[in-house]
Amino acid sequence: MGIWLIEVLISEELVEEVLGDLEEIFQDRVKNSGVVKARAHYFLDAILSARNHNLRRPKKITQNNTVPMIRNYIKTIFRTLAKNRVYSALNILGLALGLSACLFIVQYVNYEYSYDKFHSNHENLYRVRYQILRGEEIQVDCAAAVPRVGPFMKETMPEVVDFARAFPMEAVFARNNIQYREKRVQIVDPSFLKIFDYPLIHGDAASALVEPNKLVITESIAKKYFGETDVVGERIQLLTSFAQPLEITGVTKDVPENSHLKYNFLVSFETINQRTIDEETGNSYSETSWDWYDFNTYVLLKEGTDPAYFNQKFTEVLYEERKEEYERSSATEAFPLQPITDIHLYSNLLQESEPQEQGDGDTVFFLSMIAAFILIIAWINYINLSTAKSLERAKEVGVRKSMGAYKRQLIYQFLIESFVLNFLALVIALGLVILLTPIFSELADAPLSRAFFLKPEFWLAIVGILALGSVLSGLYPAFLLSSFRPIQILKGKLTTNKSGIFLRRFLVVFQFAASVTLIAGTIIVYRQLNHMKKSDLGFEMTDTMVIRGPHPNDSTFAQRFKSFKEELNGKSTVRLTSSSSNVPGEEIFWTRGMRKQEETRESNFIVYLVSVDYDYFDAYQIDIVSGRNYDRLLTTDTANLLINEAAVAALGINSPQEAIGQKVKYGGNNRTIIGVVSNYHQLSLKNNINPLIFPLDESSADFITAKLNASDYQAIYEDIKASYHNFFPGAPFETFFLDEFYNRQYVNENHFSRTFTLFALFAIFVACLGLFGLTSFSALQRTKEIGIRKVLGAGVSQIVIILSKEFLILVGVANVIAWPLIYLIMNNWLDNFTSRIAIGIPVFIVSAMLVLIIAIIAVGYKTLTISRTNPVNALRYE
Amino acid sequence: MKGSNLGEFEELILLTVASLDMEAYAVSVKNELELRAKRKTTISAIHSSLYRLEDKGYLVSAFGGATSKRGGKKKRCFQVTNAGFAVLQEAKNLREKYWASIPQLTFASS
Repeated sequence: MGIWLIEVLISEELVEEVLGDLEEIFQDRVKNSGVVKARAHYFLDAILSARNHNLRRPKKITQNNTVPMIRNYIKTIFRTLAKNRVYSALNILGLALGLSACLFIVQYVNYEYSYDKFHSNHENLYRVRYQILRGEEIQVDCAAAVPRVGPFMKETMPEVVDFARAFPMEAVFARNNIQYREKRVQIVDPSFLKIFDYPLIHGDAASALVEPNKLVITESIAKKYFGETDVVGERIQLLTSFAQPLEITGVTKDVPENSHLKYNFLVSFETINQRTIDEETGNSYSETSWDWYDFNTYVLLKEGTDPAYFNQKFTEVLYEERKEEYERSSATEAFPLQPITDIHLYSNLLQESEPQEQGDGDTVFFLSMIAAFILIIAWINYINLSTAKSLERAKEVGVRKSMGAYKRQLIYQFLIESFVLNFLALVIALGLVILLTPIFSELADAPLSRAFFLKPEFWLAIVGILALGSVLSGLYPAFLLSSFRPIQILKGKLTTNKSGIFLRRFLVVFQFAASVTLIAGTIIVYRQLNHMKKSDLGFEMTDTMVIRGPHPNDSTFAQRFKSFKEELNGKSTVRLTSSSSNVPGEEIFWTRGMRKQEETRESNFIVYLVSVDYDYFDAYQIDIVSGRNYDRLLTTDTANLLINEAAVAALGINSPQEAIGQKVKYGGNNRTIIGVVSNYHQLSLKNNINPLIFPLDESSADFITAKLNASDYQAIYEDIKASYHNFFPGAPFETFFLDEFYNRQYVNENHFSRTFTLFALFAIFVACLGLFGLTSFSALQRTKEIGIRKVLGAGVSQIVIILSKEFLILVGVANVIAWPLIYLIMNNWLDNFTSRIAIGIPVFIVSAMLVLIIAIIAVGYKTLTISRTNPVNALRYE
Repeated sequence: MKGSNLGEFEELILLTVASLDMEAYAVSVKNELELRAKRKTTISAIHSSLYRLEDKGYLVSAFGGATSKRGGKKKRCFQVTNAGFAVLQEAKNLREKYWASIPQLTFASS
């Protein structure tokens, strides 16, 4: 121990003699006072020798002139930068672009992960899912549960602190006879404001939603209706669902964008309870129902409750309560909990609160990977370019070394250089990010704000990236450059570093493989999107204007509605009108269990309902595969039914022809099938085709479809609007064109495609930088060779070929590496779609050609300049 | 270095080395100090002084023979240089001058 201490403490030169001295004293002491004491003394002496730590150490480099040296380094950096403007710009720009791309993604990913984290209870808040199971098979997997389950959980499970239900709907409100159609209306329990963090700016959260016919609205809605926010005590008329004036008892702040549960209006739950009272029992159906699954139910659990254990326990409790019903229907239910923070990214159930906003956890994860990837590519590129450039700096290194610079100083110098460049790039990147945030925010469809840049975490990350980047990207060039031997450099000989070249080749192959992958990915995504937009959906959606129907408000409505349709049909600009409860592209929430009449309840399956009038199939040009359409002349058709092919299959009938005349039962209705329509795509090609049935109901007025003849949409719009207001004064007039409406289902794919394109561009740019660097490097090394070739009569084109050949081979290798990768990744992606394109060989060829052309341009510039130089210049420096 | 003045301990060591003639190395200096000046010192203190004095040019060193007692390790023997003697001399002279300038050998306490 003592010896080891000495060896550590004392300089090499002295260690032996000091040890000798200690040993001698030790021996004396052993004689005089015994081994133990001597040992203790030895150890003590060893420790005390610490004072001699600095004795006879080899002189350290004491940089008394640190500051001037650093100043000199920085001066040198800017001189080299200025000397080689193109190169420097490329290098810094590449790094800056990489950093800004990375920052954008980090910003976006950060936003996506922030969903619902603003609730102070978010770790213990869960949404109750609703599943109907038949045996092992999940028949319904829904985000909204039945109204009874929330109270039942609270009664039976001690872990439940509180629950809140939210029943989403659309409604028309009126104030001073001005009507507004409003989305995001939620009928909620009083506890809603308690378990979630939606702070009230006016009113009292505890009592606001206790009584019936109370209303809480958001700040911006208050401004829209009243022009001010303090509107507690005012009234708004609810026109749809249950016409009723509602008293405003509270105003909340607007719901944050990163909430999966958005509202503009909160109606007290008692309001709906009063309207669903069962006359026999006196209980409200909206409290007792186990079937009506439209209620998003949230529970707040006690701190530290394990949801998996909770689910298991609740399943048992539930079975006790519901087993008779299960035996009767031979189906079971499950209500698994889902953390609310998972809803935005990882949930894709029926009746999601904001289906258009639903995020995709995989994509977000994929993006964070890409962010890291981009950053690494950018750094690699920096390394690549600086090592390539190192040859030009070699002379400087030689001179510095012969002037007495230590290797360590040179390493410092190049690290400082890398720090300065990284810093410059970071400043540019931050500028870019701040400048482009609004554009990117639109592109990514996420409200990214510059506020993100004020967070301390962000700056911490920036400093981290800067430090890591400087060291990582500076280390290799620093060591390479500082290891040059001055004599050789100054003589003009350069040792070619085999491993260095290999590294750079590897980098180029890597970058190009990434580029090819991204280009091919872009092409495939684009083609799939096109395929989806162009492919035959089974119905026609051009020139189709859809009007959201007015709400029925009195007994004359049905007649007026009919007259309105007739007036539309009478217009020369309108070819045909039809009214229905749903239109293609709109998710159907109306479901029933259906079976053949002769079968029992066990064979029930879920069908989706669209109630239609006589002209629906004509208007949409949906093929009737067998049987016939409803006929106006046959009054008995109300007892008949049209279904789609998927429903035929679900009924277990072999062909559409056989289905005709079969008697079926759905809900409480008995119907005879008179026609089968083709499997048109009610929803996008991403979705499966569900069994649909189309009961006849001329009065269903949710959507009015008008097929237009002319193309002067503006005039038609005004014309129809006038008629509409004529028949339904005060009702809001809202329309959309079906193609636009339908294609909004591909919003995510469009984003995906745009993001892909962006990254592809970036990757190619960076890869070209790398290639450019490599070409310059190798061309410089072969200056003499080229000179000699030219003297011996080689032409410019020959030299260009010689110089480019190597890189084109690299690009080829990159292609070969990328192909299986593309195939795997894109095949996986395409599997998300029920109707997908095949990955053809042309995609590979096109992307390969594209990359090759870009590579040739990148290499060509440098090789051309080099092959044009006068050979005298190349050979003279000898 | 503050001029060529010697510290008290340094002066003692220098004197010890001088008196030990050829046999001055760290351990013997330590023993000698204990013997003559009744000073208990640690070996590390001796080391630092010896090497510092060598750096100042007052001592030179050479490797002496190894003994089995030392576990076969070399020892460094010190000798006083001319400069070392000069500086000792100077210190002695200085003191003598002061002694000479004390008017009489009477002391306030007596």
